[in-house]
Amino acid sequence: MLPTILKNLFTGYATRLYPVQVREPFDKARGHISFSEDKCVMCGICAQRCPSVAITVEKKLNKLTFYPFRCIVCEVCVHACPSDAIELIFKWRPSSYDKPEEVYKSTRLEHLRVSTEEAKNKEKEKSE
Amino acid sequence: MEKLWPVELSPRTKYLRTFWAELARVHSHLLWLGLLADAFGFESMFLQFWRIRERVLDLLEMTAGHRVIPSVNIVGGVRRDITPEQKKVIIETLDIIRKESDSLVKVITNDYTVKARTVGVGVLTKEQAFALGCVGPVLRASGVSEDVRLTKYGAYGDLNYEPIVETAGDCYARTLVRARELFQSIDLQLEVLNKMPEGEIAVKVKGNPPANEAVMRMEAPRGELIYYAKGNGTRNLERMKIRTPTFANLPSLLVMLPGCQLADVPVIVLAIDPCICCMER
Repeated sequence: MLPTILKNLFTGYATRLYPVQVREPFDKARGHISFSEDKCVMCGICAQRCPSVAITVEKKLNKLTFYPFRCIVCEVCVHACPSDAIELIFKWRPSSYDKPEEVYKSTRLEHLRVSTEEAKNKEKEKSE
Repeated sequence: MEKLWPVELSPRTKYLRTFWAELARVHSHLLWLGLLADAFGFESMFLQFWRIRERVLDLLEMTAGHRVIPSVNIVGGVRRDITPEQKKVIIETLDIIRKESDSLVKVITNDYTVKARTVGVGVLTKEQAFALGCVGPVLRASGVSEDVRLTKYGAYGDLNYEPIVETAGDCYARTLVRARELFQSIDLQLEVLNKMPEGEIAVKVKGNPPANEAVMRMEAPRGELIYYAKGNGTRNLERMKIRTPTFANLPSLLVMLPGCQLADVPVIVLAIDPCICCMER
């Protein structure tokens, strides 16, 4: 036991003075996920697969809600997404005092809707 | 889950899964040794063990991305691979972990105070342990040589593995079993890393789980863990049951606790390494 005690007396601190001294995360450490609004089509597969119910998708309202503090960064949604709209970022999310929700809307879906409406209008004009 | 289809896994997947399982065992045993020290008031020892455990968690984070639960397994394989550079770092770190835990384990196995609090406390005889259906280190500390790793699942068939058995059946024997398993687990990891074959890390599995049922037994750090899954051909499983080691070890408290001193209760309860949240499933 004596060597252990002596070693502890002369070695430095085992802890870091966070947040002054921040340890760099490892290369492939799972930080958090991010959504790209220009790729998402609101299909809702991520919301179905998510084991911790951290994503809800309302396609009619074009609204995807993400609850970052429920997310366990299991990567299931990243692999399930058919349009590669979810990306895993290897950096930790900064700490915060409250539990904010993140709301996304799909610009791609809006474009699609606008283009389909335009096409419908054109068809109507043609038929008239 | 792979047994449901059934799917044959690639050898590298098996080795990678075995590696993470053994890494989790080292982390779990270090956690337990720290908690044991804490249970009889050896606060500084508790922190010493957890300081070493931090290195294991760093290794897990480096290889799998998460600190405690790796989340690397998918049906048919794993998501992450171990690169040669990572392998080098792992071997170096495992060496440091072995040296550091060696000096601490010597204290916990030879110290007078520790012996006074654990020797002869919570004795469970071989017959009692077997009859109550104990699993894992609790069973092995009572002299029964039983370990699911002997069934050679995963990569254990290719490794030199012998279960560690003590005969006294008290809390001290359980400490010894776990302390020795710690070093054995580090050896197994080095063996896995050296023998790991090249190849695919995941096999593609198509379709929904078929109408079939499968049982899988494995040796978790706390003891035997049983998974039962039943599919019905649709996307959702019909039934899924997990029997955790704490559930099997809990009845042994009925034998160990009556007649003991009140101050020994934390040590005895901790000796089965209870995880109440994973017990109730």
